[in-house]
Amino acid sequence: MEVQKEAQRIMTLSVWKMYHSRMQRGGLRLHRSLQLSLVMRSARELYLSAKVEAPELEMPLPAGHSPDPRLHPPREAEPTAQVAPPDGEPPSPEPMDTQEAPRAQETFARCSPRPAKASRKRRSSSLNGSGDAGLVPSKKARLEEAEEAPSEIPERLQPPPAQAEGAFPNLARVLQRRFSGLLNCNPAAPPTAPPACEAKPACRPADNMLNVLVRAVVAF
Amino acid sequence: MKCFSRYLPYIFRPPNTILSSSCHTEADIISTVEFNHTGELLATGDKGGRVVIFQREQESKNQVHRRGEYNVYSTFQSHEPEFDYLKSLEIEEKINKIRWLPQQNAAYFLLSTNDKTVKLWKVSERDKRPEGYNLKDEEGRLRDPSTITTLRVPVLRPMDLMVEATPRRVFANAHTYHINSISVNSDYETYMSADDLRINLWNFEITNQSFNIVDIKPANMEELTEVITAAEFHPHHCNTFVYSSSKGTIRLCDMRASALCDRHTKFFEEPEDPSNRSFFSEIISSISDVKFSHSGRYIMTRDYLTVKVWDLNMENRPIETYQVHDYLRSKLCSLYENDCIFDKFECVWNGSDSVIMTGSYNNFFRMFDRNTKRDVTLEASRENSKPRAILKPRKVCVGGKRRKDEISVDSLDFSKKILHTAWHPSENIIAVAATNNLYIFQDKVN
Repeated sequence: MEVQKEAQRIMTLSVWKMYHSRMQRGGLRLHRSLQLSLVMRSARELYLSAKVEAPELEMPLPAGHSPDPRLHPPREAEPTAQVAPPDGEPPSPEPMDTQEAPRAQETFARCSPRPAKASRKRRSSSLNGSGDAGLVPSKKARLEEAEEAPSEIPERLQPPPAQAEGAFPNLARVLQRRFSGLLNCNPAAPPTAPPACEAKPACRPADNMLNVLVRAVVAF
Repeated sequence: MKCFSRYLPYIFRPPNTILSSSCHTEADIISTVEFNHTGELLATGDKGGRVVIFQREQESKNQVHRRGEYNVYSTFQSHEPEFDYLKSLEIEEKINKIRWLPQQNAAYFLLSTNDKTVKLWKVSERDKRPEGYNLKDEEGRLRDPSTITTLRVPVLRPMDLMVEATPRRVFANAHTYHINSISVNSDYETYMSADDLRINLWNFEITNQSFNIVDIKPANMEELTEVITAAEFHPHHCNTFVYSSSKGTIRLCDMRASALCDRHTKFFEEPEDPSNRSFFSEIISSISDVKFSHSGRYIMTRDYLTVKVWDLNMENRPIETYQVHDYLRSKLCSLYENDCIFDKFECVWNGSDSVIMTGSYNNFFRMFDRNTKRDVTLEASRENSKPRAILKPRKVCVGGKRRKDEISVDSLDFSKKILHTAWHPSENIIAVAATNNLYIFQDKVN
């Protein structure tokens, strides 16, 4: 459990660093981003292996629920932290990004958790059953999230539009949409201090987030 | 091991700094230090895009104890902050590297680079000026031609020495990623610039073209696993260069083999020690600096915890490994939290390749004598500033009882780091950059 918590703490810290590295002068540093993604991968592996070793600590999975360790029923509706795959994204001017954009979208579709609005009702009654339904979010719900999510991101976390694009627009959008909820957990934390939000139910489950994040980081 | 003394407590501080010694502006932080080929000049670059060049005083019989003092020779603004409108990115003016060209006439030439642009600067002296123009008066104002009744020949008269720096070439728009290294070739006609994924070869005379000689960018960026961290030309063989990677490997390439040197000629990698494997192994194995020895026989690499010396003829492991600050191995998590684990330390050879030097934290720097296998830890601090003082070796206590002069690992100041050092090409004079201060030490034997 300790190992799991530590791994999750490091993953959260890494996300924080990745987000803040976008803000620094000179833009995202490829080497730094690569190193952060390596740490996140190692933390993820550690987290998952610790989880496998301690199955008795896990909540009992309902019958018919997918055994996929990445699946976690969200404990609370957190629209800002939900997935909003970049459906309507314009093609990036950077040649390398046009190659990666469709891949990133595929990835988001694969790892996407349930959409917020449509699943709120479902979630309360579906803890025991329709885990699989959550794997396939409806298109309508996704579009609603995409409209909803930006408005829920606090002003201070939203970089100016010019900065949000930058050299790695896909990564920038992913970070902004996905992790604003996570970063909301500890708004006052200095960049060097790890946000301690593992205890808060508002934080996203680590696996889904990390899967996507690791891919997103490399995909830029 | 020779003792290094402070012959002159030379501490550089920019003249516009009005803060106390413990504070400084971000722009004053020194980001690179380099002696020229004779050691007469020492150049420093800082985060504010400025270059300051020091010149060694000539020896004088009157002031023997002040022999060889370095004084400011020239200061100029090399790079300015820029904005990439296409990517909406600010381009930092921080000088990443300075490299001198060998002197071929009275002027000095150096290359300086920021993240995107390399510039060739000419530094020249002017100690005479023309006087006696016909069409201009002494202040340079144009004279009314109708008032001129006689003609005279302008003559050159001595004036106070003026050192001027002019940008002779600007090599721009060739790097998508951030430039980390530049290296002048031994043919003195070409040089290379390396960023995270590519290395370009330039001719000094041509600014609108460069040859791409290394490209490790994968077709699918999701498959990116390593980046280029440093590159250098061989000191004598103009066809050979090396580049290091974030995975702790070094590749030696021969430009005669092909135009694009994606396939290395030699590949240097040490198998990982399983007992040292940790969560942050991959990060700390990233090589931050690579330097050829003056002889060209060896290369030295610096990763986060060690310095390694490799023989060019043996690829499977280094011939020497020196622990710089192994006591930090158990602190990697904290160092990750405060970002220190990403610090890029440089390393240098002395003139005879017998001693290597690199920096550490708490303003410590380390020297390793390759022959005697002895090492020493020294500190660059104001407290050691007494003239003709001998630098006392420092020791870090890793556990147990701390002796009187030792400092414990937990007391180290990680904000005081020595990333950049330089060694005079032939004498035992070293330059150590500690944040915004430059310390110059000389061996007292001299």
